[in-house]
Amino acid sequence: MTIDPWFITGAIIGIASTLICVVAAAMKKKPNDVTILSLAAVELFILVYAAGSAIRLLGPESLAGEGWEFWGYMFTAAMLPVAGFYWAMMERTHWSNYVMGAVGVTVMVMLARMAQIWYGTGLPAAALQQGIGL
Amino acid sequence: MKTSKAQNADSITDDSAAAPHGRTTGAGRLLITVYAVFAISATARAGYQIATQFDEAPVAYLLSAFAAVVYIVATLALAKPGAKWALTATVAICVELAGVLVVGLLSLLDSAAFPHATVWSMFGKGYGFVPLLLPIIGLIWLYRHRDAK
Repeated sequence: MTIDPWFITGAIIGIASTLICVVAAAMKKKPNDVTILSLAAVELFILVYAAGSAIRLLGPESLAGEGWEFWGYMFTAAMLPVAGFYWAMMERTHWSNYVMGAVGVTVMVMLARMAQIWYGTGLPAAALQQGIGL
Repeated sequence: MKTSKAQNADSITDDSAAAPHGRTTGAGRLLITVYAVFAISATARAGYQIATQFDEAPVAYLLSAFAAVVYIVATLALAKPGAKWALTATVAICVELAGVLVVGLLSLLDSAAFPHATVWSMFGKGYGFVPLLLPIIGLIWLYRHRDAK
């Protein structure tokens, strides 16, 4: 997997969001502006990444893998902060912050998969984890 | 977003209520979240495998699809209140535990029979053993909330 600035940026935002939410949850805090905005930052990054990817693909660049798989991951990743926010806000306790904390790290793993689809893996397919496709 | 804001406002007024102790509240929501992530990704992956490379390893990919169904049922049953759904969740999670143990053991003893990994291969090693821990945590959670309706 090639690590590009997109992945590095997304990974930093995702990990930061997870850390902020988990620390807030460990401090028994209910979701507040900081944790919710960290989730919003994850969502914003995915939207920028989607727009950037579309522009790059309209240009000379192309995917090593399947287009619909790449955009399937993109769509799911874009839905995760929304779903996580909704699920967390239905019950505002410090547990909601743990729920929101699960989003950032999951998005980061999905970004890694998207980078694999973009650049190719350089590995035989059988060596890949095939099962649940995170 | 409008609904979320409404939910948000409602929840603020509910904040004074006692700390949640039910099966579907508090830590239970985190458990449901993790199950939901596995359900979504298992479904997407199994669908992709079956659609594009089913001939390569039909057994492994059907196993992936079965795992996906188990995760979906477990997620929904954990999220629904009521004794019947608690029982459904218990059965689904027992099937999940049996699946990860049997597939994990078979993949260890006879790796040639499982050249194509599934989520349960090697006891879920490829996923940080979360597939092995999840049903154990799930059953403990259900046991501790066995009276919660």
